[in-house]
Amino acid sequence: MIVSIMVPARHRESTFERALEAVRVDRGGDAGLESALARLTGGGTARPDTPDGWVTAVRVLPARAAAFAPFPEGIEPRLQAVLRARAIDRLYTHQAAAIAHVLERRDVVITTPTASGKTLCYNAPVLSALLRDPSARALYLFPTKALAQDQLAELHDLAARLRDASEDGSTSVGVFTYDGDTPQDARRAIRGRAHIVLSNPDMLHSGILPHHPRWAKLFENLRFVVIDELHAYRGVFGSHLANVLRRLRRVCGHYGSDPTFICSSATIANPRELAEALVERPFELVSESGAPRGEKAFLFVNPPVVNAELGIRRSCLAETRRIAAEFLKRRLQLIVFAQSRLATEILTTYLKDDFAGPPGTGEEIRGYRGGYLPQRRREIEKGLRDGTVRAVVATSALELGIDIGALDVCVMAGYPGSIAATWQRAGRAGRRSGRSAAVLVATSAPIDQFVVRNPAYFFDATPEHALIDADNLHILVEHVKCAAFELPFSASERYGRHDVQDVLGVLAENGFVHQDPSGGIWQWTSESYPADAVSLRSISSDNFVVIDTTNGAEVIGETSFTSGPATLHEKAIYLVEGALYQVERLDFDGRKAYVRQIDCDYYTDAITYTKVTVLETFEQGSSPRPAGVGAHGEVHVASRVVGFKKIKFYTNENVGSGELELPEQQMHTTSYWLTVPEAVMAALPYAADDRRDGIVGLSFAMRQVAQLLLMCDRQDIGISIGSGEQNLDTDEPRIFVYDNYPGGIGFSEPLFGMHGDLLVRTRELIAGCACKHGCPACVGPVGNTGPLAKVAALRILDLIA
Amino acid sequence: MSLADRLRGVIGPAPGASGANPSGSHREPERLAPHDALDAIVEVLGGEWREANGHRYMVIDTRYGPGHVLGRVAVSDCLPPADGVWPRLPLLAGPPGAAGAEAPALQDQVSEVGGRLLFVDLETTGLAGGAGSYAFLVGCGWFEPPLPSASALATVGSHRDPTGQHWPVGPRTRTDQADRSAGQGACFRVRQFFLASYAAERAVLEAVADTADAASGVVTYNGKTFDLPLLETRFLLHRMATPFAGKPHVDMLHPVRRLWSAPRPRSDRPPRLDGRPDFSGAFGERVPACRLTNIEETLLGHVREDDVAGFEIPSRYFHYVRTSDARPLRAVLEHNRMDLLGLAMLTARAAQLLDEGAAAARSAREALGLGRLFERGGLAAEARACYQRAADMDSADSTTRAEALRACAILHRRDRRYADAAAAWRRVLGGRGCPAHLAREATEALAVHHEHRERDLPEARRLARQALQFETSMARTQAVEYRLARLERKLGEPGR
Repeated sequence: MIVSIMVPARHRESTFERALEAVRVDRGGDAGLESALARLTGGGTARPDTPDGWVTAVRVLPARAAAFAPFPEGIEPRLQAVLRARAIDRLYTHQAAAIAHVLERRDVVITTPTASGKTLCYNAPVLSALLRDPSARALYLFPTKALAQDQLAELHDLAARLRDASEDGSTSVGVFTYDGDTPQDARRAIRGRAHIVLSNPDMLHSGILPHHPRWAKLFENLRFVVIDELHAYRGVFGSHLANVLRRLRRVCGHYGSDPTFICSSATIANPRELAEALVERPFELVSESGAPRGEKAFLFVNPPVVNAELGIRRSCLAETRRIAAEFLKRRLQLIVFAQSRLATEILTTYLKDDFAGPPGTGEEIRGYRGGYLPQRRREIEKGLRDGTVRAVVATSALELGIDIGALDVCVMAGYPGSIAATWQRAGRAGRRSGRSAAVLVATSAPIDQFVVRNPAYFFDATPEHALIDADNLHILVEHVKCAAFELPFSASERYGRHDVQDVLGVLAENGFVHQDPSGGIWQWTSESYPADAVSLRSISSDNFVVIDTTNGAEVIGETSFTSGPATLHEKAIYLVEGALYQVERLDFDGRKAYVRQIDCDYYTDAITYTKVTVLETFEQGSSPRPAGVGAHGEVHVASRVVGFKKIKFYTNENVGSGELELPEQQMHTTSYWLTVPEAVMAALPYAADDRRDGIVGLSFAMRQVAQLLLMCDRQDIGISIGSGEQNLDTDEPRIFVYDNYPGGIGFSEPLFGMHGDLLVRTRELIAGCACKHGCPACVGPVGNTGPLAKVAALRILDLIA
Repeated sequence: MSLADRLRGVIGPAPGASGANPSGSHREPERLAPHDALDAIVEVLGGEWREANGHRYMVIDTRYGPGHVLGRVAVSDCLPPADGVWPRLPLLAGPPGAAGAEAPALQDQVSEVGGRLLFVDLETTGLAGGAGSYAFLVGCGWFEPPLPSASALATVGSHRDPTGQHWPVGPRTRTDQADRSAGQGACFRVRQFFLASYAAERAVLEAVADTADAASGVVTYNGKTFDLPLLETRFLLHRMATPFAGKPHVDMLHPVRRLWSAPRPRSDRPPRLDGRPDFSGAFGERVPACRLTNIEETLLGHVREDDVAGFEIPSRYFHYVRTSDARPLRAVLEHNRMDLLGLAMLTARAAQLLDEGAAAARSAREALGLGRLFERGGLAAEARACYQRAADMDSADSTTRAEALRACAILHRRDRRYADAAAAWRRVLGGRGCPAHLAREATEALAVHHEHRERDLPEARRLARQALQFETSMARTQAVEYRLARLERKLGEPGR
């Protein structure tokens, strides 16, 4: 306790952390962990994978010693002194390598595990430069406001120490957050006084770049741009950020600055590629961590099957509760990750009931999710660091870099959706010395089932690729507008991969810009403020608004135009923070859905009829024997929601359905598709309907695997079954996996590249499933697909793969 | 599909040539030969071309002679004193202690530089601000004193009495037209800087800076939030010093609200869900009466004819940018001139009210507003006189009278004239139709007065009990209950 009061709590660095561990009292220790693991695994940790068992895998990741390096020469001595006073008298090798790159003005991306001292990689060179040249400026971008706040405290501490250490107390480094919460009257002062501005991409996009004349001081002197949590910028968000950064570099160019980019990322397969795609410059990669690591055991748990026919397993939450209890009983400090806010609250309640101490002992078990007030969050974070909080149940809100120290155990209720996110969550447990454990408890979702039954996929394969498409026309056009608003385009200027002069020409047709006949300059000629029309976290600003009419009329959420009909049709169940609402009326033209709070035990899943037409084939695979052919290209997607199913929570039983009539939606996007040759279909020993079921089941499973391979969210891709366009008379089905965003978001080409892998893993998923005729974890529930779907799908795969 | 076709699919088809909106047509219209085009623009807008750094811009000078009339009011009714400025106008220059405090006092400045007040109004390509919102027309206006040789002309056409402070009340006829010739007598002069091409912006800003440098203070309408920040952004973009920085600034929006807008409803409508300001009206729907044209109508009796609606203005400029056809802009320039002249006249009226004090107020509302302006400027005696006049005027409506008496009572209390304060509170309660929240406040204040000053505890208790009858916030009710309990204790009686 004393230590945590005297030394500011925001510490991630080296020896201080070790000191803190030493004074941490009454932890269960290695013996406690050993006994809990022995109980869970029914023996030791040395055993092979058992895909059919309850614990499907136990892996032990060995300890690793620290590798140190001295401070690079270029680090300002005053800063070195302050760091030494914080017991940082040398650096880990990755820190030294990253800092050396930055000092040489090379853009760098750092990917090392959670709690390896990443922030020092950028804070040290930035502060060092600011001490040398007080006119220099730095911009830090975080994906969330909470992360910026977390860093603000750390930087304030360093700035205060630097001021105290300077002879006359005059060294002052101004550090401010600038985001939607910044009071209007403070903004002018911040623009003038901030050496380091902590913000987020959304604010840069709509609040800073369009007002760049007021930020002239920042842009003239901008030496560093720090992008933390780089891996968060994939898909739509990343494609937008790439364009915001293009605009940032354009504005910097206008003011004559050329900042160095420092990015940090969780472990993904392609950090350098992602950084280079986002910033469009070559990057150095620092990926070898010099931070020490204790031994860590990683367990996969698959809850037992309770209904083999339907493939239903015991509730993941109940399993998680039992497993968490084993660790809590032994006084181990614990973090439990849940998939939703609702699940977080349920698990918190369970664990509190099981373990609440006598009254007055303080809250040892806490929940943590978005929606809690900042003060409460800070209190929980501090409690975790000083050990007064024994267990926290959290959503992904705690997955990002918020500092909570290192805990003994991490239990994940459900697969977090990607290998990278799983490692990041698991990284929350793990001390620099001593042992730790991570446990993944699977739900009955197909992805979870695939992962726990194929442990090698997770442990041995590279993590996912983060993909973006900065030149998606829908996104590009919006940002060209913003850029033209910020500074006129010249007749020879380039922007992105497409010819921006063409883009400006079409914008001129619509009156947004006008090319001056004498100089060829493109001027903004619209009274709108284009940044307001673009949300970085979605592709279109055309949204459905959700209005709760339970008490009066209150807007409780919004949904993108594309997913509106499927999630907000009449009688749909809409979920917000675990609360259930039923849609009473959808005003399609007004883009409004009126909902009312309801208590029910099911959710709804829309039935969408989708027709995909190939517009252009970019690439097509070739194969010597009658095999499935993969291709990718541009497609037209027309979809209509025609009905919905009611699905019971947890068991995923189908408990009812309804019909709907909604307008058709159309878009152009990109798609991967698999064509199953006629010969293959003809060779199947089944009736036409059963063959068809096989294709449906195959597509169901492919979707899960594609989602896994692409590191994307479920709604990011769509699936459709069609037939060959050229030979309509033949029965040659095609399975389309398309980007569910107008213009495509860059999934199709990589998926085409992974064609073989996709088929192999789909086969593994289906063949490895214990169900008899199909279940939600492989080819879909029997009720959906028919009794022969599973066997037919496997036969097709045997013939084409 | 070509990139352009795919882009058209994304952006949507270009609006057809049939669009009624002059900027809607996407076809590049035939352009006139350069020289003909320049001449044509001069013919339409009536200014003259200037050139700097190889870029042309236009300056349009207009002179409004002393006899020029807007509604009931002539320019001659509005002229500032001969030595340059209305003495008490500086009271309106920014709230005390706010941003205005850093600027030197208007009073000090005006004596130094001959006291030219610059009225400024912009026409812009957008309302949102930011680097892409341009001021395509910067309108500047100022009163010019008569040339010494022509001073005799100064009062021509004027109905002013010798003090020169009273506005005419009856209708006026137009006695002369705005003219662009160099006049001799006192006048209001408007100089408009027109951004003939985007490339000329720097040249325009330099010219604006020259004009602004000669001024000692700036007067705008809503310029604190709109015109001046937008101009500042333009200057910053060109890395130029802002000529308005440090100059005293009177934003007439707030004084006009105080003096001439209808009383605001007490319950404001709920704020928008997204927390953004509501720009549905020019200054927010809450006070539509505060549009400059509305105030002109009520105060000057002037109704604009063929005025351009504000929302049309950007598209008229864009039409010009695309086609060099300046005709739709003629009305925009006139609109800008009328804004400046109207603003100057309102400012003159406000300044005259300040200089003359309570007696000059023509309505209770005006007297009350004037009192508030005095009070904010630290002139308590003048403020009190205004409040008293407002309360005494026969034309006062019940709300205005009650508000004036309340303001009066608070001033008295501040001066420790408790008996006078109590008398004012009593008059608040005595008036018919007194709004409930004021009646409650008066009752509470009187309860305090009787408890502590008069030491008439039974009366204090009666008043406190009465105060509890009004619906109000929990905290206020609790405060009164607390007072009542204390009074009961002091009176040594059991509970009610």
